[in-house]
Amino acid sequence: MNWYLRIRKLIQKKFPNNKFLHRYFGLIAFIIVGIISLFIGNHVNEFWQRLIILSAIYVIMAVGYNFSNGVAGQFSLDPNAYAAIGAYVAALLTMSPETKENVFILEPVMKPFDKIQLPFLIATLIGGLAAAFSAFLIGIPSFRVRGDYLAIITFGFGEIINVIANNLVSLTNGALGLKGIPEYTTLAWAIGWAIFSVFFLWHLTNSQVGRILKSIREDEIAAEATGINVFRWKLFAFTLSGFFIGIGGALFAHYLTTISPQVFTFFLTFNLLIIILIGGLGSIVGSAIAAVLFTFAFEILRVFEEGIHIGHINIPPIPGLRMVVFAILLIALMIFRPQGLFGDKEVSIK
Amino acid sequence: MKKIFKLFAILIFNLSLAFAMKQVNVGVVLPMTGPISAFGQQTWEGIKLAHQIEPTVKINGETYKINLILMDNRGDKAESANAASRLITQNNVKVILGAVASSNSIAMSTVAEKNKTPMISPSSTNPLVTKGKKYVFRVCFIDPFQGYVAAKFARNNLHAKTAVIIMDIAQDYSVGLAKSFKKAFEKMGGRVIRILPYKSGQTDFKGILTVIKYLHPDVIYVPGYYREVALIARQARQLGIKAKILSGDGAEAPELVKIGGKAVEGLYFTTHFDEKSISTKLGKEFVKKYHETYHKELNSLAALGADAYFVAVDSIKRANSLDKEKIRDAIANTKNFPGVTGNITIDKNGNAVKPAVVKKVENGEFKYVTTINP
Repeated sequence: MNWYLRIRKLIQKKFPNNKFLHRYFGLIAFIIVGIISLFIGNHVNEFWQRLIILSAIYVIMAVGYNFSNGVAGQFSLDPNAYAAIGAYVAALLTMSPETKENVFILEPVMKPFDKIQLPFLIATLIGGLAAAFSAFLIGIPSFRVRGDYLAIITFGFGEIINVIANNLVSLTNGALGLKGIPEYTTLAWAIGWAIFSVFFLWHLTNSQVGRILKSIREDEIAAEATGINVFRWKLFAFTLSGFFIGIGGALFAHYLTTISPQVFTFFLTFNLLIIILIGGLGSIVGSAIAAVLFTFAFEILRVFEEGIHIGHINIPPIPGLRMVVFAILLIALMIFRPQGLFGDKEVSIK
Repeated sequence: MKKIFKLFAILIFNLSLAFAMKQVNVGVVLPMTGPISAFGQQTWEGIKLAHQIEPTVKINGETYKINLILMDNRGDKAESANAASRLITQNNVKVILGAVASSNSIAMSTVAEKNKTPMISPSSTNPLVTKGKKYVFRVCFIDPFQGYVAAKFARNNLHAKTAVIIMDIAQDYSVGLAKSFKKAFEKMGGRVIRILPYKSGQTDFKGILTVIKYLHPDVIYVPGYYREVALIARQARQLGIKAKILSGDGAEAPELVKIGGKAVEGLYFTTHFDEKSISTKLGKEFVKKYHETYHKELNSLAALGADAYFVAVDSIKRANSLDKEKIRDAIANTKNFPGVTGNITIDKNGNAVKPAVVKKVENGEFKYVTTINP
């Protein structure tokens, strides 16, 4: 963090009165890092490139999830459902009719999808919109309850979508999943969407809308007493969050080239929950940084599994050790910084 | 000071010894943790032992030490692809062995194909793993073949006319086998009365079994994993269903008898090989060593893992080069390689052509029944 503090100090000294730079420091820094990684990504080997793409996808899903969970304070547990909807819809739209015919061996594809093939951008957008629409539909009955009950209801919806994915064979190919999805998610697409989602949601969070949602988070009754239509705003946050998670899911499908219901189990939700808790509930840039750290940590911690050979001392490779190390790091973080790395504040100079 | 110097000298000596022999890196991607870690660990046992039997390879008269690099994929698709990409770009491996689950292998194969690195899967049976891929191979048979074998055995040996299939809709393996069994069984003149679904993790099968009781099929085909197969057999016998039960290689685990007890007596299943009828020299040596090291019966996954390793080493030897393109050609040209599970020939689609074995549970043990050729 030393270099970060140094840059902050430098900016404070050089531009003591530039309010714009102070306020948008975190956002600007993130966008610059994004653009730099776009250039770096084109020159490093495929392994690092893949990691950069994966972390960009996690950034999109995490900031989307954080918008409803952290900013609006509605604790939901179903991002895996929206990621699944986004992924399946977009994949069905980009796969060529011939591939679909080969993949769907159990039952032929449902009617409109058997002939359609759309460009990647449009398919991604439709995937995101489908996820947003389902979030809207799920939100209407769910927001009749709040707090822990909301978490349980949304958890149920997440499971229902998974069961549907296993059983609606003519649309999802059941447990076999979709295979041979074109590998469209390039560095530019992933980082472009990541920058867009962080930029968009950051602005929304730090605007009137963000303040309304935060007031709902802090005290629903007080918010309602000031004339805020709590239900409508909650639904808005939920739908928007669904949209971005759906976009993330669509990019994820075109990154993996194969999806099945097993990809979108509760574990995905769990990962995203860890990310937004590391970054801090309510901090958009915080969860974006946490998403990058989370993705890279799993690969960098592999060092612990490779075993060490120094002269006569041979420590054999222990598979699974990195998970233990990761868990210990998480516990340490929760003890020393229970509010996450950035708390509920944006990264800025004050 | 002198002591430190001495230690340092020893260290350098050791290091120089380690680097004296040239090395070939071979990557291994397996689910060592996560929900299917048992499969990954069994395969790794086999690969490790095979490496002990053949730790070096000779290329152009020079001996190279084979260096196995294991990566854990947690049974996860994204991790599998990352691991493969890490092995290729960071560790510069010449061949990748893995993964176990077909969905993981498919995610990996995209990376292998793009980087032109040969990959051999020990036990991914889904046809799409190798379909249309130039650098991806496997040493096991594919699902349609196993389904066909089960259907042939049911028709010719059990003389079954009607069958009911119980399939696990959450496992692509099970769905694939059910589909190919139905196709083959009906082609041979049999009739599949009904396909009934369940989901892995389910413990109560009375509902579907009551339906089956009134359908009176000659044979019940249950392509699933051992836990559910054992429970289905148990509950079927409790309800008084007398039909013969037939399963796939997912049933082959000691736990089948532990959970199923008397109910699984007389249950048939198709699998990759039989330990007692191994005829190759390499196979005999491997089985002997396996018993000495692990003190248990050789399972299919370990044997297939060993075969993937042996085929890879043999191909490097025949290619007589460390050029990945030449190694790929050598793997593709593998003909009658005497491996652990029998003679392995790789066909033009990258799949192994080899017979399947039918076994039966008898007195709590797996007895060899017959071999069915492709």
